[in-house]
Amino acid sequence: MANSHYEPPKQSTFGQLIDSLFLLVLVLGALFTPLYLKLAGGGKVDLAVADKTTWAGLGQNAVQQAQWEKLGFTPDTAASMITSRFDYSFNVAELAVTAIVIVGYFALLFIFSRSEYREVIEERFGKR
Amino acid sequence: MNSFQLLEYGAWALSALLGLWMLFDMIKTNKAYDEDLLTSSKEGEIDDTLVIDPTHQGGHQ
Amino acid sequence: MTQSTAVHGEKISLLRVLGPGHVWALGVGIVLVGEYMGWNFAVGKGGMIAALIACWVAGLLYTCVAMIDSEVTSTVAAAGGQYAQAKHIVGPLMAFNVGLYLVFAYTMLEAANAITLGYLVQTVGTMAGFSDVHDKPFIVLTIIFLAWLNYRGVYATLTVNLVLTAIAFIAILILFAAVKPWSNELLDHKALLNGLPYGWLGVIASLHFGLWYYLGIEGTCQAAEEVRSPARSLPLGTMTGIMTLLIAATMTWYVCSGLMPWEYLGQAVTPLFDAARLTNSMPLMVLLFVGTVFSTLASANGCINDASRAWFSMGRDRYLPIWFGAVHPTNRTPYRSIVFLVPVALVFAYFAPLDQVITFSILSGLLGYTYMSFNVILFRRKWPLGTIKRGYIHPFHPLPAIVLLVLCSVTYFAVFLGYGTQLVAMLVFFMVASLWFHFHRYQYVRRGDQFTMQWPRPQGY
Repeated sequence: MANSHYEPPKQSTFGQLIDSLFLLVLVLGALFTPLYLKLAGGGKVDLAVADKTTWAGLGQNAVQQAQWEKLGFTPDTAASMITSRFDYSFNVAELAVTAIVIVGYFALLFIFSRSEYREVIEERFGKR
Repeated sequence: MNSFQLLEYGAWALSALLGLWMLFDMIKTNKAYDEDLLTSSKEGEIDDTLVIDPTHQGGHQ
Repeated sequence: MTQSTAVHGEKISLLRVLGPGHVWALGVGIVLVGEYMGWNFAVGKGGMIAALIACWVAGLLYTCVAMIDSEVTSTVAAAGGQYAQAKHIVGPLMAFNVGLYLVFAYTMLEAANAITLGYLVQTVGTMAGFSDVHDKPFIVLTIIFLAWLNYRGVYATLTVNLVLTAIAFIAILILFAAVKPWSNELLDHKALLNGLPYGWLGVIASLHFGLWYYLGIEGTCQAAEEVRSPARSLPLGTMTGIMTLLIAATMTWYVCSGLMPWEYLGQAVTPLFDAARLTNSMPLMVLLFVGTVFSTLASANGCINDASRAWFSMGRDRYLPIWFGAVHPTNRTPYRSIVFLVPVALVFAYFAPLDQVITFSILSGLLGYTYMSFNVILFRRKWPLGTIKRGYIHPFHPLPAIVLLVLCSVTYFAVFLGYGTQLVAMLVFFMVASLWFHFHRYQYVRRGDQFTMQWPRPQGY
């Protein structure tokens, strides 16, 4: 098998258009699906505070209070910012699934790449 | 209508103008040159002498 | 008559005009905006102390990235940057994915910049007493204007970047000096620092946005086909860039953490501008307003440059339709790629919230860094030192690669905390795209022609 040269087919303009559109749709899908399903963003919880209507009740000291006011906030407008907390509780099964997805993805990449790479090297440098 | 709204309309107008400029120039260029020439660049060509600018080729054939 | 045909041997390529200053401007220009916005979400995820730790840990991660990247790119001088590296070192499918990471990371970053700029104009409009001010027209204008600039030519584009970046960097230095860091007159760390509100888990979580201090520094490689002496300029520009950023990041943290309650800082859109507002100084406010505007412009500008180079390179190799592999005959830019990416950036800047956009950008970057650690190990294995000429050799191999991989794994966990859904959505996207590439798209690719470097056969193949 001396002649291992691969001559790719010429892609039609229509085919090129379809491929471009496919990628575009895929990109938009990946980025907007979590947003529309409201799955995006960290889970947030509200911190319980003594009193949402005063700075002291929100746990702010004098210096903090002064800076909030300089930025144009009142206890009412700042309350939601101050009490919002990320919810870092997670279950181990979710973590395991995510880890498997990441590792699986890279494994897929390296395995397919390796076979394609062999072909490239053989065509460029000849068969061994 | 305040002066900030004027600024906003200005921004829209300028965006449209520049966008159309690019689009128009792209279509014009696509038509004016041969596709093989436009896509003739190759990766890894470090040598400057290989490069010929068609509009500045100065009689070089 | 401009009609022209491809005479034998006649070619159009990108223009080789840039110096090391431009490389620095491209690298730092993309990233410096990270100090003006975005990094502070790390404060929200773990508190101020956590953000500082994240800043330095991420600094270590990026020092590894810069060292590894400098070595590989000083040999693989191609416009695709890491994409071309992956093609030569790992294989086509990896290269396709790396190309997409680059396009994603930069296009999303560009959208984030436009959102910030629009928000800033809106804030200033409101502060000036106008009612009913919108940010959208300025978001759109930013993206289209910069695309137009990129379309017109690389030299002007990156010279503009050099000026914008230098001014934005100096603005941070001036702010740092002006808040008198040696006294307690303006800064009050004692009253504002709050320990670790989420404990040590928060420190790990904040690493997610800690990347934002430096994200994009590796973009210097995309200039490889337009730099006059790539083997020297690329490592020089990249390494001075990372040093600039380490300094700027630490200063930014110090100023902001001494001025704002952490709950505010953790959710602010323009933290450095807010810091200037809190100093009560009009000149400082104007300066940091200008700094923020310039840094977002410089960053978006560099992003368009890099994303289009990556898209163009993939088109040229037919990983994407060959149509994208065209160079403008007079402007000498990858004009079709630039135009194609405009609507993509617009859609995200227009419809998606800032922290989501940033997360997608960070995730794409993170996947790219993970690849780099494998990449350099394979590179040294397939072409050991001495078999090819390297412009720069990074020390302590394979330690930087291992450190990088460990830090990347921790960062995946950090992203998982709070943004796990996006992480999985993103990976599903890349898997689908990979299968599409392997089983459909790859048939149009010329096999041997992809390997363009004048290297000997890799060992073991």
